[in-house]
Amino acid sequence: MARQERGLTRIELLQGTLDLIILQTLRWGPRHGYGIAQMIRASSRDMLQVDTGSLYPALHRLEKGGAIAAEWETSENRQRVRVYRLTAGGRKQLAAERSRWEQLSEAMAGILGAPIPEADA
Amino acid sequence: MIALWRRRQKDLELDEELEAHIRMAIEERVARGEPREDAEHAARRELGNLGVVKEVTREMWGGGWLERLVQDVRYGARTLRRSPAFTIVALSTLALGIGATTAMFTVVHAVLLRPLPYPRSDRLMLLAYDYPNNAFITEGGISDRQWVDSRSRFRTFARVAAMTPGLVTLTNAGDPVRLQAATVAAGLFETLGITPALGRTFGPDDERIGGEPVVILGDALWRERFGADSNVVGRPITLDGVHHTVVGVMPRRFAYPLAARLWRPMRIQLAPNRFQIMSVVGRLRDGATRAQAVAELDALAAAERTRDSMIARVTPLKDTVVGDVTRSLLVFAGGVALVLLIACANVANLLLMRATTRQREMAVRAALGAGRRRLIRQLVTESALLWVGAGIAGAGVALIGVRALLALAPPGRIPRHGEIGVDGAALAFALGVSLVTGLIFGLVPAIRATRSSVRDVLAATARTLTGRDGRLRGALVMAEIALALVLLTGAGLMVQSFVRLRRVELGFRPAGLALLTVDLPAATYRSTAAMQATHQAVLDRLGKIRGVESASAVNFVPLGGAMIRGDFKADGRTIPPSYLVAKPSVAPGYFRTMGIGLRLGRDFTARDVASSPGVAIVSQSVARQVWPGTNPIGQRISNKDVPGPGDWLTVVGVVDDVGQTSIDTHREPAIYLPIQQLTQTFFLEHMSFVVRTASDPAVLLPAMRRALRDVDPDQPIGSIGTMESAISATVAEPLFQARLIAAFSVVALVLAAIGIYGVVAYSVAERTHEIGIRVALGAGHANVVGMVLRRLLVLLVPGVALGVIGALAATRVLSSLLFETRPNDPVTFVGVAALLAIVAIVAGLVPARRASRVDPLVALRVG
Repeated sequence: MARQERGLTRIELLQGTLDLIILQTLRWGPRHGYGIAQMIRASSRDMLQVDTGSLYPALHRLEKGGAIAAEWETSENRQRVRVYRLTAGGRKQLAAERSRWEQLSEAMAGILGAPIPEADA
Repeated sequence: MIALWRRRQKDLELDEELEAHIRMAIEERVARGEPREDAEHAARRELGNLGVVKEVTREMWGGGWLERLVQDVRYGARTLRRSPAFTIVALSTLALGIGATTAMFTVVHAVLLRPLPYPRSDRLMLLAYDYPNNAFITEGGISDRQWVDSRSRFRTFARVAAMTPGLVTLTNAGDPVRLQAATVAAGLFETLGITPALGRTFGPDDERIGGEPVVILGDALWRERFGADSNVVGRPITLDGVHHTVVGVMPRRFAYPLAARLWRPMRIQLAPNRFQIMSVVGRLRDGATRAQAVAELDALAAAERTRDSMIARVTPLKDTVVGDVTRSLLVFAGGVALVLLIACANVANLLLMRATTRQREMAVRAALGAGRRRLIRQLVTESALLWVGAGIAGAGVALIGVRALLALAPPGRIPRHGEIGVDGAALAFALGVSLVTGLIFGLVPAIRATRSSVRDVLAATARTLTGRDGRLRGALVMAEIALALVLLTGAGLMVQSFVRLRRVELGFRPAGLALLTVDLPAATYRSTAAMQATHQAVLDRLGKIRGVESASAVNFVPLGGAMIRGDFKADGRTIPPSYLVAKPSVAPGYFRTMGIGLRLGRDFTARDVASSPGVAIVSQSVARQVWPGTNPIGQRISNKDVPGPGDWLTVVGVVDDVGQTSIDTHREPAIYLPIQQLTQTFFLEHMSFVVRTASDPAVLLPAMRRALRDVDPDQPIGSIGTMESAISATVAEPLFQARLIAAFSVVALVLAAIGIYGVVAYSVAERTHEIGIRVALGAGHANVVGMVLRRLLVLLVPGVALGVIGALAATRVLSSLLFETRPNDPVTFVGVAALLAIVAIVAGLVPARRASRVDPLVALRVG
């Protein structure tokens, strides 16, 4: 039940958006999964709450695709953590996805910018 | 293997990564001032279902098909373990269906499909002529005279060999015993392509009349009676009182023709006015066809000038070995396939219901990024796992099933008995059936389960999602009802046919009768007088057993499997040449002992002996046919074609007609002769002693054995038992068929009832909310029950209609197995449909009553 409510209240991410967000986040340097989640939340001013459950499948998918690489490191409080960093391929993918996103949001803005009395939420 | 090991490593690393995530989340929450317990709870909840997250993450790793398969299988096994009730019900249902099908396949394969165990057995043919004009020859074959004339003339056959089956008595090797034996022409074994395990086969010299008596032993006989002695060749053994020398031993499992246990060479002595019909097997020459063989046989027949028309027939040996069992085996195979279909439909239904309840799980997995094809593959793997598990369990069921089938089948009725066993082919069949049905019946629920989009499921409540699946489930149950009805109708017809068979008026009273059959070997009892003396001695002893009311004897007992039949002459009357009557010979007191009514005249007495005038007793239909409206007593008949003055017999009595040959042919005309007046040993060798008692005839059997042993300790018992069990044995096959089909249909009925119960129960659970509202608005119990049952009727009525149509089409194949029962017998159809409807309504009533007790408050709160 709890799941369902959360699913209903959050802003659902468009397919593929999560990849873009992860890649963008990793541009600021290598980070472990928890750190990535925290950073997404912080930088979206808590508007986007990435479903942690879907974060790890996405990370592993990107790793498999070669956009990011992972290594085990020891954190400051002496825990072993898996740290992800952007690869050269990942930077290219980021640039590509970014421009696609910009095109999409421009198009969306064009549609939504048209004068319509009231949009249904 | 290395790939799998690496995978295990990655699994462990993923666990560690997610644990680290949770730990960090907890620490941060604690640092913010949350109590540790709440923090832990919140952190775990945030991550969601850890198992599903790991599952979906692992899927991202990709990997080879093997890795993914292993992963899917593991996942499937895990989900099945999590719902043991579902798994057990589905597994056992399927194992039963697959096991029964495999058992049936094993028998069908061994009997019908597998070639005979002889080299190039497809070239082996049985040669025969049918004599449509000769009423004496009921079964076609080749006469001894034709065989002698033409055995070396066949051009289309590389080798030919004649044989006749028979029984012999073996003495001086343990207890005296009657054995199935065969008299065979030299070259039979070579024709079949069989070489002896020890010694030699028969050569042309062995066919010489007056040659040394020789014998070849079967493997089983050699082991049982001769201790598998490798020096048995050259040893003398006693058959029918004559010394024979063992010249060879056949290899294991060879038993042809019929279930022959030993073989003797054929020594033909042609005599005018007498002939014997034999079976002839031949191996087609390379390049020769069956049609050419038929043409050659026809040409040979044309060259022979006989007044009978002869029709040549060349049949593949396998067809003659398998014979008429084909149809009943195929009927059983069809029946068992229906059971399997019903079982599969039931499990598909279970899967569909499960899929509905798991839609949320599927949606979540899809939301986390798992692809639909991936989900379908996993669900299909899961059901395939179920089906393969059931296939393995089913092979076990088949192992037991085949044994049970062979144990229940009437003895000697399933040909190639020794070749039947659950082998590689049967196991492959079980696995193949389970995989194919698993894929088909697993795929549809899987597609259904993953079809709804994430948004649908997460936004909607479960209730609104099930309409389409409900229709599919309904259709499955409808199909189950129809299939079960087809099986039940078949069973109903078979049972009815059997009941009619048992109600046949036989013309005698089997209750209270015991039967002892012996075969006196002509070689030891050389004269009719010696045989008659022995019969009399046995009769005297039987009559003195305590509790015996009367004892008598007959050479060919009714329903005993053999009967002498022939024509006769009547003084001053002409009888149509096709009018043949049974000709049993009996001792005095036979009619009283058997309970056959004496209508006119007298019974035979001890004074009707060889030296007194010849007498006969006729049955009523003979009297009506030959002397209509005239008293037959004192009339004269003869069994000779051209009767001399001493060949006439005076009719002294008239008795009721009796069913002589088999229970399903009508009562036949018969002429009885007194055994004391017979002049040929042939008619005296085979003799059945009948004994009547007021109490249980089974009690008399040991005393009857003793009576025979007192007279001749070397004489084996051919058979002994009560008359009722002897009659049961003649109807053993219809009984077996009826039982088997009834067993299938009971399983089908139970499975269909489970299916109906499941669907109705599920629809009640689905509609608890609605029912709650109805009850709250004042609907009574009856209203609610009626509402639920209406839903059932929607399935039941078309299901029954479809079933009736299917049964009308399917039961036509039964017609040859039915006795005085039409395959579209309306009583059976109505009765069976009613039975099915009652079972369906009872199965639906249980959940319907539960629905009527729904507490509106609870129902509305749940909704």
